[in-house]
Amino acid sequence: MTRHLRALAWLVGFAAPATAGAQTVQNATLRRAQQAYDNLEYRQVVSLAQAALRERLTGAERARAYELLGFTYGALDSILRAVDAFKQVVLIDPERQLDPNRVSPKAYSAFDVALRQVLLVRQLRIDSTSFVRGRGAVPIRFTVTQPARVVTRVIGTGGGSYMIDSGAWNGQVNLSWPARLANGDPVPAGNYTVVVEARLGQNAFSASQPIRVSHGSVDTLPSLTSLPGYQYLPETEVPPQSWRPLGLAFLYTGGALVGTLGLESSSLGSSSKRELAVVGGAALVTGFVMTLRKPAPRPAAANILYNRLLRDQIARRNQDIAKENVARRQQVQLTLVPVAKPSGAGPR
Amino acid sequence: MVLLVLAARTAPAQGITVTVGPQFALASYREVASGLRYQGTGFGGGASARYRKLSAEASVVRLTLDPAAGGTATSGFTATEVDVWVAYDLAPYASVEAGFIRRTADPEFDAQSVGAVRIGARSFYEIGPGATVLFRANYLAAPKFSGGGHAGFSIDLGLGLDVRLAGRLHGTAGYTFQRINRKTNPGGTGEIDAPIQGTVARVGLAVGF
Repeated sequence: MTRHLRALAWLVGFAAPATAGAQTVQNATLRRAQQAYDNLEYRQVVSLAQAALRERLTGAERARAYELLGFTYGALDSILRAVDAFKQVVLIDPERQLDPNRVSPKAYSAFDVALRQVLLVRQLRIDSTSFVRGRGAVPIRFTVTQPARVVTRVIGTGGGSYMIDSGAWNGQVNLSWPARLANGDPVPAGNYTVVVEARLGQNAFSASQPIRVSHGSVDTLPSLTSLPGYQYLPETEVPPQSWRPLGLAFLYTGGALVGTLGLESSSLGSSSKRELAVVGGAALVTGFVMTLRKPAPRPAAANILYNRLLRDQIARRNQDIAKENVARRQQVQLTLVPVAKPSGAGPR
Repeated sequence: MVLLVLAARTAPAQGITVTVGPQFALASYREVASGLRYQGTGFGGGASARYRKLSAEASVVRLTLDPAAGGTATSGFTATEVDVWVAYDLAPYASVEAGFIRRTADPEFDAQSVGAVRIGARSFYEIGPGATVLFRANYLAAPKFSGGGHAGFSIDLGLGLDVRLAGRLHGTAGYTFQRINRKTNPGGTGEIDAPIQGTVARVGLAVGF
């Protein structure tokens, strides 16, 4: 019983990826081959798929037919034939990936062997990016399935071509393109195509990805009006209420009284104090009223100094920002986005 | 005074603060001997201006002085006194000042007319919002008298008050005590003391510009 269940699970593993794309099949023979595969009639799958391949098929149908053959040969333990079938699959659809969690290990290893036996440039990826000229680069990733001489170029719609890299690569390749011309200027805005060409002896393969490069101005920095964490302090402070005003009025009035008494002429006698009483009284009353009133705000020297330092610091920062903005206004913001591929890559 | 009022209109634009206003005055005056004493009142005007550390002050008062009770004077006289000061601040509360005083009597020989140069210092302090008290001491140099003579020692003490009452309106009060040790030599018989001593209190209003 256990052996039956394991066999069933095994077969389901082969069946799952095959049924996934069955809905796109238009060719009747290929549909019958698909049905036979679903019914585990592998001999019939082989004959029907081969018959379908002799008929007129679309690229996707042809890849499906070879994939059915690959899975079927894998199920029939005919690994070499499975590898050959999968080779045809990846040549037609280089981006084809199998999910190791959904297909049998036999089929997956056959697919993996097939990938290593064919020169392909796969999974060419260019991420959207934006950077200031000279301060960034465009990341370019791809996978080469065999050791090969790989030339990566960017070709403009106007015919301009810029070499990005040329070297011997195998496996995952990560490149970066600063999007600059030889004289340091940014590449002109427009549509480009990143082309990766791999060559190994007589075999060659290329993959491409269209991109769009646009130019923009670099954002300038706003001027500072304050420094984070630092605030202006009040430049005046109200001193605490005291008897000082009345005391000062007494002092000044007393000075006038003592001066008057001291300087009076002995021969002329004591002068009238009426005048001093009027003015001195007014001064004392004023002093008393000012004692009761809220004192006038006075300049706070420490705060004034602190505010001056803060203003100087902000002014200095703003000068730096102004210089930075002058530089930024002369810079170019490059924005690069991949665009939909008009046509797929293919073997040459 | 008219010129000061006219100047006051253009002052604020140049950073100058100016006050101008009328004053009521009380005065007492003694001369030669304790019996020759007068008391009276009068009216006048005062003006002041300040530009940074430089300040100027002027006042004119016309006093009607009558013989005081118990005195030996038989008739009064009218005195017109002009005081002018120009000061420079040495500190936020002290300044040096110079100026002149001229007091004329009418009838001319009922009292001494005096003219002198002032040299001195003053101290001032803001005792509250808009309230300033002032104390000054001036030496009266090179005094001239209508009746002749000279004075080796002459001094003028002052107490002042300026209170901003409301907006541009200020209340002002000023007290001056003046002692002049005049000596004369009538008929060449030898010098005799003929001192002059007077006090004046001025109370008034002023408008600031």
